[in-house]
Amino acid sequence: MPANNLLLSSSPHAFAPATTRKIMLAVIIALLPATGYGIYLYGLPALILVIATVAASVASELLFRAAIKAPRSVGDLSAIVTGLLLALILPPSTPIWMAVLGAVFSIVVAKEFFGGLGANPFNPALIGRAFLLMSFPAAITTWHKPLQGIVDAATTATPLNLVKQGASLADVAAQVGAGDVGGLYWQLFLGNRSGSIGESSILLVSIGGLFLLGLGVIQWIVPVAVLGTTALFSWALGMDPLFSLLSGGVVFGAFFMATDYSTSPLTPLGKAIYGAGIGLLIALIRKLGGFPEGVTYAILVMNMLSPFLDKLRVKKYGYVAPKKPAKTAAPAKEAAK
Amino acid sequence: MAVKSFRGGAHPPERKDRTSGLPIEYLRGAKSVVIPVNQHFGAPLQPLVKVGDQVKRGQKIADADGRMTVPVHASVAGVVKKIEPRTQSNNVDGPCIVVEADGSDGVDFLAPLDGFACTKDEALARIREAGIVGMGGAGFPAHVKLAPSKPIALVIANGAECEPYLTIDERVMIERPGDLVEGVALTMKIVGAPKGVIAVEENKAHAVAGLEKAVAEKGRGFDIEVQLLKTKYPQGGEKMLISAVTGKEVPSGGLPMDVGCVVQNIGTLVAMVEAFREGKPLIERGLTISGAACASPKNVVVPIGTLVSDLVAEGKVEVTEAELGRVIFGGPMMGTAVPHYAIPVQKNTSGVLLVSKKEAEHYVEHSCIRCGRCMRACSCRLSPALLNQALVAGDWEDAEKIGLLDCVECGTCSYVCPARIQLVQRFRVGKQLLRAKKQKEAQNACK
Repeated sequence: MPANNLLLSSSPHAFAPATTRKIMLAVIIALLPATGYGIYLYGLPALILVIATVAASVASELLFRAAIKAPRSVGDLSAIVTGLLLALILPPSTPIWMAVLGAVFSIVVAKEFFGGLGANPFNPALIGRAFLLMSFPAAITTWHKPLQGIVDAATTATPLNLVKQGASLADVAAQVGAGDVGGLYWQLFLGNRSGSIGESSILLVSIGGLFLLGLGVIQWIVPVAVLGTTALFSWALGMDPLFSLLSGGVVFGAFFMATDYSTSPLTPLGKAIYGAGIGLLIALIRKLGGFPEGVTYAILVMNMLSPFLDKLRVKKYGYVAPKKPAKTAAPAKEAAK
Repeated sequence: MAVKSFRGGAHPPERKDRTSGLPIEYLRGAKSVVIPVNQHFGAPLQPLVKVGDQVKRGQKIADADGRMTVPVHASVAGVVKKIEPRTQSNNVDGPCIVVEADGSDGVDFLAPLDGFACTKDEALARIREAGIVGMGGAGFPAHVKLAPSKPIALVIANGAECEPYLTIDERVMIERPGDLVEGVALTMKIVGAPKGVIAVEENKAHAVAGLEKAVAEKGRGFDIEVQLLKTKYPQGGEKMLISAVTGKEVPSGGLPMDVGCVVQNIGTLVAMVEAFREGKPLIERGLTISGAACASPKNVVVPIGTLVSDLVAEGKVEVTEAELGRVIFGGPMMGTAVPHYAIPVQKNTSGVLLVSKKEAEHYVEHSCIRCGRCMRACSCRLSPALLNQALVAGDWEDAEKIGLLDCVECGTCSYVCPARIQLVQRFRVGKQLLRAKKQKEAQNACK
């Protein structure tokens, strides 16, 4: 018999080019414009913060999995994605040790404790941020004016802060030096405002999001639902819908956090409800909550519902509705009469 | 012409260009053949010959009583050398009749019969006697399929050929459109369908003109139409093809006849025509031999029972041994990988692929990242990721609810999975286990 060493396996014998690693790489690439802009706005401290969280994420995944004797998994690049995402949603002035602690918490507690990639019920980067926000509320709510360096003299409030404190949009426009409200929208869209490192430029975040949509890495349902309902409920609660979308981390969250595979529902209807729930919670937290911004908690709360929303499956091919037991019950009733 | 299709699916690299332009080669000079006794879906057969018997080409050599049986015929004239278990293309050892050609040209065909003039029962009997089964893969007895218990409105000739590499149906559509059209007309006559459709994927659009011409010339006035479909896997699956052409869905657990359809493979249609016109049983078939480790890709017609290893030894198929990674009977999406190639071509072998080590790369299963690619690709809309979750957890109730038994095992989910999770593989095993479990429960309930 000639042929030796033939591979025997069950079909299929062909595979699509996409792999977990390539998908994660695409997400990293999609985040680069926003990352670059954040570093431009806040300089070296922002760069160091990004490097620190990424390194801490990768190292903690490596060490934790070695400690529990699990197969090494850093090759899938998901730890880099988590570290990068965490850095981008932190204020640029976050102390490095604090950011590293957040990254370790993200990877070890939020991800690996639950079984690693794909098994975590909550978005690890958001858990990291929520953990830091609760542990060090002052540090995680200290913001700096862009392009002025991380110095005490440059601390300021974010546009959302100002509105929470009762300022009108015209006041905010004046504060950021945008002239009128139209100028404010434009400035927020381009991203020259205080906030987390990666969230501010709606333009660059959207470019990254559209890149992922174009590659088919993410689907349109969740971002559209989040953005649409955030605008809708903000308007319904008496807030300016456009300002609601352009300020804070809504767009970043819609494209990069709410679309997280592990923690969002798989089915189309589930995705729509999940996205709409996030939008509603964002508007409610901003209007009624204690924080000026609510994207983190809105997404984390909806993460909890994902397993239930997965039950809203599409009808399978050739679905036949099961016969209702009522039909057999009816004659029995008549017989009883 | 509006191009139609079904929901879901994927588009793997076609790799058909290696053979799509090559006319069919007729390699009938097999020195010996290994003919599996059981090549159909149904009850097993008994050999009608014994070792040492002289057999003619076309002589019936195995048969059995029962509706779900289809006889097997000698594909060369010669002497029965052995009757013994051999590895078949499904990787299982089964009884095979080894016939060594003796150079004689004894032929034992059936008498020609006009399928358009005879009764339906005569036609069905002829189809059974000629040993005709579905040649697309399942090997379902054709005489059973063509005697549905429900009225049939539409006969669909399955020219989708959606598996990568395979081009034999395409060549038949180009080289023998008249016989194909006659086969469609014959099927319509037998099942009493008022309409026929030859469904062709767009990557074979060049065959359409010839088919339409053949319909005009050889269609005997039957209402037959050629329909283009968007190239997509698994369009050649019966259920998907019916959805693509008619927009209807075969109900869960049902058959094509439940929506008034009969779907026939291209090769089967041509074999039927030969069974009537020449009285020739199904003793040879066309297939594509291809793959990156095959230096001489081609479309061939060979006697049933031809060993691939003989084709290689005789120099009719050249293999680059150093590169060979996998041998597949069928297409890369649904075919079976076999341990060697001393395996016979059967009635349902649509291709033999000699796949290179690079193409046959073996992957390790990673964890599900819940990307949802399988959910969108599943042509049955079964939520493979959730089904996998249920099976891993041993939750049979949930698995059945999600639709485990509706899985057509097309493998698109595994194909698109970036974590290389063995989805369809798990579903295949799961289906069998669930059926066995239900059977056991039913038995216990009877006790």
